[in-house]
Amino acid sequence: MMENTKRNFFSWFKYKWNAEPLFSIFLVFLVMVILQTLVLGFDYDSFGEWFQTWLNNWINILRNNAATGIIALGMTLVIMTGGIDLAVGSTLVAVGAMLMMLIDTGTKGILAGFGFEGALAFILAIILVLIFGYLLGSFNGVLVAFGRIPPFIATLGTMMVYRSVTQHFMQGYNPTVPVDFLQIASLKIGNFMIMPIIYWLLIALILHYVSQKTTFGRQIIAVGSNEKAAKLSGVNVNRVKFHVYALMCVLVAIGSVIQVSRIGAMDFANAGRGLEMDAIAAAVVGGTSMMGGRGSVAGTVLGMLIIAVMNNLLNLFGVPPFLRDAFKGFIVIAAVLMQRKERI
Amino acid sequence: MKVEIKNIYKSFGSNHVLKDVSISIEGGEIVALLGENGAGKSTLMNILGGVIPKDAGTILLDGEEVEFANPAQSQEAGISFIHQELNLVNDLPIYQNMFLGREIKGRFGRLKLDQMIKETEKIFEEMQVDLDPRTMVRELDASYKQIVEICRAMMMNASIIIMDEPTTSLTEKEIERVFQMMRRMKERGVGIIFISHKLNEVMEVCDRYIVLRDGNLVAEGAICDVTTGDLARFMVGHDVRTESLTREKNISEEVLRVENLSYQNFFQNINFSIRAGEIVGITGLLGDGRSELFQAIFGAIPYDSGKIIFKGKETTVPSPGHALRMGIGYLPNNRKENGIIKDMNIIENASIASWPAYSKWGRIDRKAHEDQFEQQKKTLKIKMMNNKDNINSLSGGNQQKVILARWLSINPKVLILDNPTQGVDVGAKEDIYDIIMKLAEEGIAVIVLSGEAQEIIRLCDRAIVMYHGYIQGEVAGDEMTEENIMVLATGGQLN
Repeated sequence: MMENTKRNFFSWFKYKWNAEPLFSIFLVFLVMVILQTLVLGFDYDSFGEWFQTWLNNWINILRNNAATGIIALGMTLVIMTGGIDLAVGSTLVAVGAMLMMLIDTGTKGILAGFGFEGALAFILAIILVLIFGYLLGSFNGVLVAFGRIPPFIATLGTMMVYRSVTQHFMQGYNPTVPVDFLQIASLKIGNFMIMPIIYWLLIALILHYVSQKTTFGRQIIAVGSNEKAAKLSGVNVNRVKFHVYALMCVLVAIGSVIQVSRIGAMDFANAGRGLEMDAIAAAVVGGTSMMGGRGSVAGTVLGMLIIAVMNNLLNLFGVPPFLRDAFKGFIVIAAVLMQRKERI
Repeated sequence: MKVEIKNIYKSFGSNHVLKDVSISIEGGEIVALLGENGAGKSTLMNILGGVIPKDAGTILLDGEEVEFANPAQSQEAGISFIHQELNLVNDLPIYQNMFLGREIKGRFGRLKLDQMIKETEKIFEEMQVDLDPRTMVRELDASYKQIVEICRAMMMNASIIIMDEPTTSLTEKEIERVFQMMRRMKERGVGIIFISHKLNEVMEVCDRYIVLRDGNLVAEGAICDVTTGDLARFMVGHDVRTESLTREKNISEEVLRVENLSYQNFFQNINFSIRAGEIVGITGLLGDGRSELFQAIFGAIPYDSGKIIFKGKETTVPSPGHALRMGIGYLPNNRKENGIIKDMNIIENASIASWPAYSKWGRIDRKAHEDQFEQQKKTLKIKMMNNKDNINSLSGGNQQKVILARWLSINPKVLILDNPTQGVDVGAKEDIYDIIMKLAEEGIAVIVLSGEAQEIIRLCDRAIVMYHGYIQGEVAGDEMTEENIMVLATGGQLN
């Protein structure tokens, strides 16, 4: 009897592990969280105090990764069509520069020049940069979908273009972000600074819905899985691709708003460098296939969290900073090795 | 050499694919291995080829027991497996393909190209193959690729060659070329196991037959003692219909007319008209342009000039999406490449074409699709477990029915079926024929593109025969015979 239930559990586990990518990803995440909890010195006697530290630690992790997490979600959709967007870091900078110029309280502030101030100016600025992000993304989309340029090449090109043009326009000028603008990221709810986390959660929920329930979301999978068959089934492949790249950069724009309002400044030469790799890493750890056709929003959120918790653990263990990327590299490779078994 | 396979068992999970199968083959004979899809042919050959291990049983070579742990060991023992999707590298010349993985190397790994060319020439001379070893494989047609594979097997001193459906994508002329080659090998004492669904070919080239059904050996014997009808009966386990199919003809007004349609050198000056409730066959040999013609009508590829008139109105079809909204469906050929979306489940594969039609605010109406698919499962006789299983868990015939369901879900007025029974077993084939009959009765104009004259004759009211991008002629009624179709398909005229 005992033997039997054991076998059943194992076969159930094995089935789940093989059949559902999210299951294995979630388990890995769980293991890391338990490890982290242990390292933080779980102590039953002083539970309240421990919980406070634990909670603060988590809020920190989530807030620090919100912007990248949002961008990773867009990257997941792009990769699911079989593409890639290398230009996200440069787009982040271009949008950030535009945003800061719009709301600058220094001599060159654009909106201030038109007499807009305060909350109205912020709302206007955000709407404008979302449109700007959409335009930058559309350009990638046009190149990939209608220009038939391989996504890697097209976005490698725009990666250089976007950052270089931004730097040229800024010429070392550093706009001043109004203090009130920082509220977007640092407004406290109760006692917690969790606005970026809320944005991330909200966007994840919306994108989860889009990818699971809508024609557009399912067509993304069809395009990534078998472009020819999708086309012959009446899917407008070019339109799907175009919209995915445009959406990607709208999400980057949101990430950029969060970043600017969190830090209040941006280094146009270096900000966002390697962002594309972080986003791809999160997507891949979350079970997205680089061949297209496979991946999920929930998976990428978990993937991002796995990487984030790992960074946190490395921090807690006192691993030297230069070594941390090595761990990130290992976990990406391990994730792909783990998922490889499903694909035959 | 003599190969004996004795009492082989093999199961995948609870699925018993081979049950106590014993066969043997000797050098100098061509044996047909027959059976429906899923009968266990591939599994048996994969065991012999060392691709997968057996559960129980023995393999004897000239009376000695052998174990193959991998394909290399099987090859070493003299068994060559020529897979359906050929293992040739298109971008290398023939001679490098012949020596792929076993290159002749000099010092520091330098390839001895001249020697490889000479060796290849020697084999070609022996086998009476008229090819320059320096030709790129890309430039060869499918039959010569097959022949290169055979020569490669010969070079490795194969005494048994397994050929898995070598003729599926070949034209009549190319098939004859491969058959000549097979006979030549037979004379040299090589044994060939020939897997094919085309029974006429089996009758033509084979000496013996072996029939598997549901993992059991059900019949074997000499080819000269049986007819194709007998073989088909062995395969399905009951009588197979070969008579023409009949239906209540319900032919009304014209739905689709094409005038002077041309596109590059794919098709020129095409004129035809199709009425609701009609079944029209389009046939010809490879390179006749029929697939391209109907892909253009469906909007998947462009056309240069000419008119498409749909329901009396001149229209343009800029994309498959347009065609679909107009009510034109197209079941593509080559299911694996153009039909199946492998990362989606069964019901998504069945409903993708009608997502936009049923969605509100971009939200897919899953309930509506499920209801529709429940109906289709019954009418199309789709054998499956769960709607959410992956499409690849189905057999070829059921996959094809799911793709057919995809097109029926848009309620087409015109349904173009490009090679609808490709890679489908006999039973599912009959199911698909029945469905086509029923669709025509319901008033859909059905266009069947097929290279099999028999299929066209059984199904269609009339047949349009194409030759090198032109319509060579049209036959109907008593004129619609295999001979007449072949005359037109090879560029001749009927008198």
